[in-house]
Amino acid sequence: MRLLVPILVTALGLQAQVPRLTEVQERRLSNGTRVLLVQRRELTAFHATLVFRGGRAEEPTALAGATDLLARALYGATWPEDVEPGKAKSGLDALLKQEEGLQEAVRLERLRLRRDAASSQLPALEASLASLQGRLQTQFSASPLADLYTARGGRQRAEATADALMASSELPLESFDFWCRTEAQRLRTLQLSRFSGARAALSTELQRRGTQGMAMLRGAALPGHPYGRDLADHLSALEALRWSDLRSYAHRALSPDRLTLILIGGLGPEQALPTLERHFGALPVSPDSEEALLPEIPADLGDRRVQVTLGGEPHLLTGWRLPARSHRDHLALRLGAQLLGGGQTSRLQTRLVRQKALAREVTLQMDLPGSHLPGLLAVDLKPAVGHSLAELENALQNEILRLQQEPIPQEEWARAITMLEADYLRTLDDPAALARALGRAWAEGGDWRLLELDVQRLRTLAPEGVQAAARAWLKPSHRTTALLEPSATAGLDPLEAELAKVLNALAASRIQDLAQREHLVKEGLRQLRMLSPEERRRTLSLLAAQLGPVKP
Amino acid sequence: MRILLLALLATLALQAQPRVQSFVLPNGLRVFHLEDHEHPLVRVRLQLDLKPTDTPTGLEGLSALALQMFQEPGSGEAKADDFDLLLEGSGIQFTREATPTGLEWGVVARSRDQDRALGLLAENLLRTVFDPAMLWRQAAACWRDQEQLGAPPQARLRRALAMAPGERPTLASLSAITLEDLIAFRGRVLRPERAVLVLHGDLGLEQAKRLVLLNLGSWVGSPLPPDKGAPRPPAAQEEHLNIPAPGTSLTLLAVTSPPPDLAPEVIALLDLLVPGDPLLPPVRATLEGYGLVVALEPGSDTTAPRALAILQGRLAALRQRGYTQVELERARSAWLARRSLDCLHPEALLAAALAEARGRGATSGPMQALTLEALNAGLRAWLDPHRLRTGAAGTPEILTQLAPQQPPTK
Repeated sequence: MRLLVPILVTALGLQAQVPRLTEVQERRLSNGTRVLLVQRRELTAFHATLVFRGGRAEEPTALAGATDLLARALYGATWPEDVEPGKAKSGLDALLKQEEGLQEAVRLERLRLRRDAASSQLPALEASLASLQGRLQTQFSASPLADLYTARGGRQRAEATADALMASSELPLESFDFWCRTEAQRLRTLQLSRFSGARAALSTELQRRGTQGMAMLRGAALPGHPYGRDLADHLSALEALRWSDLRSYAHRALSPDRLTLILIGGLGPEQALPTLERHFGALPVSPDSEEALLPEIPADLGDRRVQVTLGGEPHLLTGWRLPARSHRDHLALRLGAQLLGGGQTSRLQTRLVRQKALAREVTLQMDLPGSHLPGLLAVDLKPAVGHSLAELENALQNEILRLQQEPIPQEEWARAITMLEADYLRTLDDPAALARALGRAWAEGGDWRLLELDVQRLRTLAPEGVQAAARAWLKPSHRTTALLEPSATAGLDPLEAELAKVLNALAASRIQDLAQREHLVKEGLRQLRMLSPEERRRTLSLLAAQLGPVKP
Repeated sequence: MRILLLALLATLALQAQPRVQSFVLPNGLRVFHLEDHEHPLVRVRLQLDLKPTDTPTGLEGLSALALQMFQEPGSGEAKADDFDLLLEGSGIQFTREATPTGLEWGVVARSRDQDRALGLLAENLLRTVFDPAMLWRQAAACWRDQEQLGAPPQARLRRALAMAPGERPTLASLSAITLEDLIAFRGRVLRPERAVLVLHGDLGLEQAKRLVLLNLGSWVGSPLPPDKGAPRPPAAQEEHLNIPAPGTSLTLLAVTSPPPDLAPEVIALLDLLVPGDPLLPPVRATLEGYGLVVALEPGSDTTAPRALAILQGRLAALRQRGYTQVELERARSAWLARRSLDCLHPEALLAAALAEARGRGATSGPMQALTLEALNAGLRAWLDPHRLRTGAAGTPEILTQLAPQQPPTK
């Protein structure tokens, strides 16, 4: 009896501290679509998020960029010609098919021209394509409020992540029937009428963005793994991806058995479910929608180091391979990450920025790029003026050792838990954030209840548990360090800088391991320096000809 | 019939939102309260409008620097840590923001921590002592923030064009700011009668009154100090801003702030109409907090002058064409329907309440009375070529093609 009382008191205390997610009702439609319904009676609008499990990590290499393209071309807007049945459908299909053929012909002709500039059909092909695209334009609605959701006061956005494609919409309550009909029709038709524009925009964006530090770190820490892939290295595949390829992929990847539909708003199950069943429940399940088998990557790959010259300010990026979200140590590591870099009073912020003034800025990211599979805990440190990356590296390592070895003060422990609980409360209060968090818990951890369970389990963790997890996972053999230095090409002559760019682009398309790639480019540049300028120029033309149509 | 339908839509949209109640403290602080007990959270936002005369010529960046200095409690590192420890120990989210038109503080706290949250906001706001040792450091931080050092050139360009050329902080203007300037600015601007406070969430009206009175009731504006220097001259039109960045593809940007007398209803409708206008592609337009941002990222086969001509041409065409009555009606009904979405975003409710309190919120009466002529006149005024601030980021070689004397399209 004496034992029972403290247990009861603790349990009641926990319940009082963390609001429960009892308002989430889970249902299944007849085709396997999962529905999570959160009824908030006072709302006269609703938020809906469609979460398709899979994401970038499950894309085959030849279809790299497919999830991003679906986020843009399928869910970027709601055009009448894409979702209204019978709206010149067959004519539009035929034009899109022709456009696909012409674009492929133009792409191949550009490739051919790089090797043989003697005779070209390119101008004629480009003129045909432009004329076809002009005809295609006439099929599209031309009005400032052509987007069906905007015209009804709604909003939509879509996001491609490593583990899921998430498409969200918000509309007034009276548009719920319309939304169900439209979304089901969108999935049934998979029209993708703006495919070529979306592909061009994504390609341009990736070229403009260039190589990014975090992408480099992922590539070096998770070599050969889908989580380590940088889309910018697959521009040629993206350029070659066709409208019909993406549609076939979408039929498999967006099958109803891979979908969880999250609905938050003033709708009860008795109002929402019959309509959802009528529209979403009638969608056919794709026979090829089985889970992709993804490679395992051992966390103990060894301590890896990369020195990268990207230009801009110097950074120190450090990543540790972590377990997936479903692993028992994941939550302890999340709390460890909070102690290290969550907020202004975190250890890295306090000691490295304020007290020692070694760093100017600290950013910490957990589960980079996802956590369905083992991802990374990444720390990005920008040195303060007069301090080197080596100093930062030592200081960071000291903080990791402190976390692993020194007892965690009670006040600091309580603060970290309070901050995570307050974050959770803010998430519950914002329908869009709640839908996203539920969707992520399902796509990454396999169960939406993890959102609540994690917060409840926080209070059951002990500081020693966090230290044990830090010792098990934040160790040198799990670590990758990337030292980002200001541009090395800054001091190079223009010819050598161009050679470095071409070599980098060539290596990126063939070698996934970043450390190996970096070494190869350096060695290549060293050997090319032995040639005369004229020979180097000729080599540059030869190397450039091996690249795809995308300029390095 | 149409008017009835619109009125019904407006009523439905407003029903979803918590009722706004307001009161004024004896010191002149206007307070708006939105009660909502769905979750044990309280959100607070305090806004202070800035006038052009608040920042003397030569001291551009004064408001941003003042806000940075509020972050420093006055006597060194230990105190700064204490403030953050109190905030984070209670899981309170605390933000400060300086925009070209005002200063804003935001707090989100669990309702059980509301007293502490308001207390910390008041402590930050009513601070009278600045640490002189921090001035140079915060000025450097302000400059880094303004220049967006380390950010991609496109982001730097966007940041630079957000402000009119004469209002942009520079290293020289930030370095010229003294403690006396900060104190004078504080006395001029941080006055309860110039502020609007909005509270939203799990607290009743009486509780809100008690909380605000207790924490901000003693806030009294000091006697107004004399203005330093001459009144700020109207900002001259900038010819063209270039941000050279080797190895970068060309990005062209045009930013235009709404004319000061433009009705909020016109802004709201243009926000819906302009971004999706079929006349614009390949140019993209979005409405940001500081104005309309128009961007073009041309392919490598388009020269820089040609790209600039495309951007200016698209805007000129849109300006000349204007909108039709049918488009106005569709935008109006979309706007009314969109109002109901505010109930999904607590922060949007606060923003709407603040805008309405400052007379800058679109409301259904004037919206229904808005004519096509007024809408198109507003569009023409907003897209007036003389109001456009244009700039480009790209390689130095490409940028040299953009002659600075490029005349604006009439």
